[in-house]
Amino acid sequence: MHFGFITRIIAQIRKDQLLSVLLLIVSLSFYTCVNSHKANISESEVSFSVTDFRGKALKFKESPKRIVCLIESALSGFYMLHAEDRIIAVSSSVYDDAVYNAYAKLDDRIENKSLPAPGNWDFVSNEHIVALKPDLVIMWASQTESIDAIESKEIPVYAVMIKSTADIYKEISDFGLLTASEKRADSLIQYTKSELLKMAEAAEKITKEKQKVYFMWAQGPLETSGTNSTVNELIEMAGAQNACTSSDEHLVVNLEKVIEWNPDVIVMWFDANKNPEDIMNLSGWGTIKAVKDKRVFELPSVFMCDLWTLKFQYAAKLLSAWSYPEDLANIDPEMEKAVMLNKLYGRKGEDIE
Amino acid sequence: MGAVNTAVSIQNLSFSYEKKLVLHEASADIEAFRLTVILGKNGSGKSTLLRIIAGLLPYKHGNINVAGTELKQMSLHHRARTFGFLGQKHKAVFPFTVEQVVLTGRAGFINFVPEKKDYELADKALQKVNILELKNRIYTELSGGEQQLVMIARVLAQEPQILLLDEPTTHLDFNNQITFMKLLKEFTFNKLTVIAVLHDPNMAFLYGDDFLFVKEGKLIRPKATVNPWDTEFLQSVYGHNLQAIPHANRALIVPDLQQEIQHD
Amino acid sequence: MKNTKLLAIVLYSLPIPVILMSLFTGPSEMASTSSIFAYFKDFLISGTAGKAIDFQTIQAILFEVRLPRILLAFLVGGALSVSGNSLQAIFRNPLVSPYVLGLSSGAAFGAALALAWAFIPVQLSAFLFGLLAVAFSYFAARKHKSLSIVSLILSGVIVTGIFTALLTVVQFLSDPFKLQSIVHWTMGNLHNASWKLFNASAFPVLAGLIILFMMRWRLNVLALGDEEALTSGINPVRNKLIVLVAATLASSAAVSVAGIIGLYGLIVPHMVRMMVGPDNRQSTLLNFLFGGMFLLIIDDFSRTIAGFEIPVGVITMLIGAPFFLYLMKKTNIGWEQ
Repeated sequence: MHFGFITRIIAQIRKDQLLSVLLLIVSLSFYTCVNSHKANISESEVSFSVTDFRGKALKFKESPKRIVCLIESALSGFYMLHAEDRIIAVSSSVYDDAVYNAYAKLDDRIENKSLPAPGNWDFVSNEHIVALKPDLVIMWASQTESIDAIESKEIPVYAVMIKSTADIYKEISDFGLLTASEKRADSLIQYTKSELLKMAEAAEKITKEKQKVYFMWAQGPLETSGTNSTVNELIEMAGAQNACTSSDEHLVVNLEKVIEWNPDVIVMWFDANKNPEDIMNLSGWGTIKAVKDKRVFELPSVFMCDLWTLKFQYAAKLLSAWSYPEDLANIDPEMEKAVMLNKLYGRKGEDIE
Repeated sequence: MGAVNTAVSIQNLSFSYEKKLVLHEASADIEAFRLTVILGKNGSGKSTLLRIIAGLLPYKHGNINVAGTELKQMSLHHRARTFGFLGQKHKAVFPFTVEQVVLTGRAGFINFVPEKKDYELADKALQKVNILELKNRIYTELSGGEQQLVMIARVLAQEPQILLLDEPTTHLDFNNQITFMKLLKEFTFNKLTVIAVLHDPNMAFLYGDDFLFVKEGKLIRPKATVNPWDTEFLQSVYGHNLQAIPHANRALIVPDLQQEIQHD
Repeated sequence: MKNTKLLAIVLYSLPIPVILMSLFTGPSEMASTSSIFAYFKDFLISGTAGKAIDFQTIQAILFEVRLPRILLAFLVGGALSVSGNSLQAIFRNPLVSPYVLGLSSGAAFGAALALAWAFIPVQLSAFLFGLLAVAFSYFAARKHKSLSIVSLILSGVIVTGIFTALLTVVQFLSDPFKLQSIVHWTMGNLHNASWKLFNASAFPVLAGLIILFMMRWRLNVLALGDEEALTSGINPVRNKLIVLVAATLASSAAVSVAGIIGLYGLIVPHMVRMMVGPDNRQSTLLNFLFGGMFLLIIDDFSRTIAGFEIPVGVITMLIGAPFFLYLMKKTNIGWEQ
């Protein structure tokens, strides 16, 4: 009955109208095909090239001066490299309550909300981006449709996909290349690696048995990450072990599995709506060791613990301090944070709370 | 026609749909325990009148008196005990069994689920229309004639005093029409008042006791001195030249072909 | 007739073994049937609680995790099926489900609103917006104190459209974490089941179901048509409103705790009708038992089939839809056109 209705409507459209619509579609697609050929730069003009996370080589005549960065975590990298002057537009997520105050301290343009935000990880205004006339757009590799649309306008896109700490190093070193600040990028990476080495040394001296950590994302108490994830790396850096034994990067588990794993510590991703007491009061969670021992902790802020930036070391340090409070009593999280912010962001970083 | 024998008394009844006046100060008394047929042209308001009596259409002007009570004042329950109504064509959706359909006639007297007494009354009603053997059949799989018999059994299970039937034979074949009209006639012998709207005057004159005509918003009867099948009277109702052919103390009505064709 | 009776007896008694089976089904090895049998065997042979069995953990898994989830799955499945069946009867339409009047989109919007800005609990917000959407459809369709089914279903389509658009706005304004929670919610799932959720939803669900159960025979009368009901002494408008309110109450509460479980309230009533016929006096209770049991079995799959939780709404679609199509081809669905 319903289909009959639709076919009747289709039947009512006149044939010539249908034909003209088809012609329009065909000519538009032809136009875009032809257009996309122009994006190449001749070999002699190339001064340097960078391979993004898709494996695509981006070739540049000169270092890009006008960069649109639609990834909030990647934006942090430009402030670490002191290359923020090249940023002409950011992700709208930068203006979210969770991170706004931090970025406002780093950049007056963000504090005044004068830096345009033509999109985020999900929605992108292609028109707005083209109007900004950028030399380079940085966005997630998963945003394939927007990438195609922007690249068809001869604008190079550096696509990001972060699955491990190695990816974080690659990202910052690529940004160093792009902004002619390779040295700064190297020193940031060296600093982070040395901090991790210090942690590994401290972890060797730990006498307590290996602690099991259950990591909880903000989507819900049963959303966690398995062994093949940045979170897992983080837990291992802290000298602990992931309670979740599945290999999935992100998954929803059954409460009875959590009860069976019986983690020693529960670590929550920052959640404005929930705090550790809420987790401890969840019905059915009472028999879990971490709840009985009141060892449920929440990462203090999205900006400070961003797992997709070099700041992940701070989250790792917190995790180790929570897992081994007796062995690592000399770690002062506030001190660690202040030092890290100064090392990563420079003097401006000290103002971030 | 004494007051004791009047089943339904209609006085100055007016009714209109939006702005179209259908009944205008119509009055008539309908006698009890008889088969009264309401006749008239299409759109004259005969179905409307029946539906007003059945309580399906609310009326504002005029009175309808049923055994001393004004129809408007009757509760749904009281109405269900008094009237049984059978609409033109029932469109079934679910494949209920015949018994389940007939039981719904008891709705007004059942709180939650039907009891033993209700099942007995349903059986009795099926017996009255001679289709007890269809009891466990699926209603939607029956023929049109059988379905109509089930629906009349459903109304009988309600145990009403007055049956209201809106063109009950329209969708039946010739054979079923005869069965059905005979049934209606039998009901009146068992102390039931039957009021039926029919569009076929011949079926009406063959089986009916009283005849009520709807014309220009009024309820009219032929003068006491003439038969209901008086051609002059019928011509005034139907607007065609008609001829009455005498048959078994009554008459069959056919168009007067000579006159009709000359007119064209 | 004999077959139908036998089938009914099977359907009436089956839920108990299914519930027991579900209690011993789950991803945890510790609380599986075999390990619990082993525990009892050790106990009987040696007279001691066997080797290092963590009784407290097993108890927590069985009674704090599985039991509330089993009961919630049963309640949600039963509520959606009974509501769907009742609404199909009063609307005299086979395409009707509890979602037809905008309930699902209203509830999804309410849930998204609460997930994004957390001013009231998610379940309460979903429940209230579900009711609001249905009330909106109802009053939009009401004209001159009468209610046409076609305009009711049409206004349901419009209300669904409005709330779906509003839901998109909320999604647009949400960060990835919140967006993912919203998407998970709309897929329908029972993994957040707890005694707290069960207790919160049991009252409105049972209140609605009890009313529908009392109306079970009257549904037959309403299914016959308005005129037939009115002239046999039943006020169709009032009775339909009672059914509508009761069905909305039960299914809103179900949707608020389980999210949108697609097609369920549409398919199960047809399945039950194919098995025992259209008599609502019998099928109302069977819709509860079969609908509850079937969702429970589906949820058992959802929590054991993989190492992670598969949203139950996805499985109802993937298992329920082909099964329904198979039944539809094989048996006569019995709707007159």
